[in-house]
Amino acid sequence: MHEFSVTKSLVDLCNAEAEKNNFSRIYKIHLKVGRFTGFSPDSISFYFEHLKPNTKCQDAEIIFDEVPIRIKCTDCGKENEIEEPILVCPECGKMTIEVISGREFFVESIEGE
Amino acid sequence: MKRVKVLKSVLVSNMQRARENRREFDRMNSLVINIIASPGAGKTSVIERIVEYFKKKRKILVIEGDIRGQVDSKRLAKLGVDVIQINTVTECHLDAFMTAQALPKIDKKYNLILIENVGNLVCPAEFEIGEDYKLAILSTPEGDDKPLKYPLLFHLAKVVVINKCDLLPYVDFSKKRAKKNVLRENSKARIFEVSAKTGDGFGKFYSFLEKELNAKKKKG
Ligand SMILES: Nc1nc2c(ncn2[C@@H]2O[C@H](COP(=O)(O)OP(=O)(O)OP(=O)(O)O)[C@@H](O)[C@H]2O)c(=O)[nH]1
Ligand SMILES: [Mg+2]
Ligand SMILES: [Zn+2]
Repeated sequence: MHEFSVTKSLVDLCNAEAEKNNFSRIYKIHLKVGRFTGFSPDSISFYFEHLKPNTKCQDAEIIFDEVPIRIKCTDCGKENEIEEPILVCPECGKMTIEVISGREFFVESIEGE
Repeated sequence: MKRVKVLKSVLVSNMQRARENRREFDRMNSLVINIIASPGAGKTSVIERIVEYFKKKRKILVIEGDIRGQVDSKRLAKLGVDVIQINTVTECHLDAFMTAQALPKIDKKYNLILIENVGNLVCPAEFEIGEDYKLAILSTPEGDDKPLKYPLLFHLAKVVVINKCDLLPYVDFSKKRAKKNVLRENSKARIFEVSAKTGDGFGKFYSFLEKELNAKKKKG
């Protein structure tokens, strides 16, 4: 549900960046989405189709770059990639975990002219 | 066609607004807690307990975020506490801009500002509103696996209150498993087990809040 307002922010952000770079049109939006966020690429794409007409994004598509969850154990020092966000060290079983990646949610770049 | 780097968070405007809210709250020296839980977990009931306990010694404000209506605001107003209602209308969470609507209505310094977010375990987690921290409530009928199903909220919440412990004899809920699951998302979480119905378990929780309030006072 919350992807509607988030996608609206995405369109606003990209339009503003297009303005800054003198783009009249954006063709591609490269979006990083971490797997440890509450945002689903499918819903973002869905709302994007509704929000893009009559903006600089109208011919744009979103290229999602999903970022896996990487954790570091502050006890044994090992780093691991995990599928599910269960923050337990796969090496030593401790819960002294720092999340290194997976919380990303940003526009990496835009392509346009 | 040209490709240009942007490297900006999609949530950038919300984050900026949250920082501004935070500065306002800090100027008032208020401890601000963002209370997040599923519908009916007992957010308002826990707030009622906190208000009853602290209202004589501290100035408390409750900000009520609801999709519509004023049901909870009316419940709280009965306790003689100041309440500001925000209706999110279509949104399933409070964001920093909606929260900012409350700022002009705050006309005195409060020691404690409790914000009841919209009943939802998913959406409110991603949106900072200017709080000091998030407090998640998990009620026993919901099941002890909820932290694993809604990991982000439990990862981000500094405090987790397990509510409706009076119902433990009737529901399949293991406190031990629940605590383990919370800690698997956030090994630093402070966990309290309470019943907002009977008042059991609130002693420890009140002392924790008391300490937090004192710490805030010293800082300012
Ligand atoms: N048995 C029992 N019932 C409780 C407890 N805490 C709250 N309730 C009941 O649970 C129901 C929901 O409580 P609320 O405090 O309104 O929950 P809420 O999270 O504020 O609900 P929404 O604002 O509608 O999302 C009410 O009928 C409460 O009386 C508890 O500790 N034990
Ligand atoms: Mg309520
Ligand atoms: Zn380890």
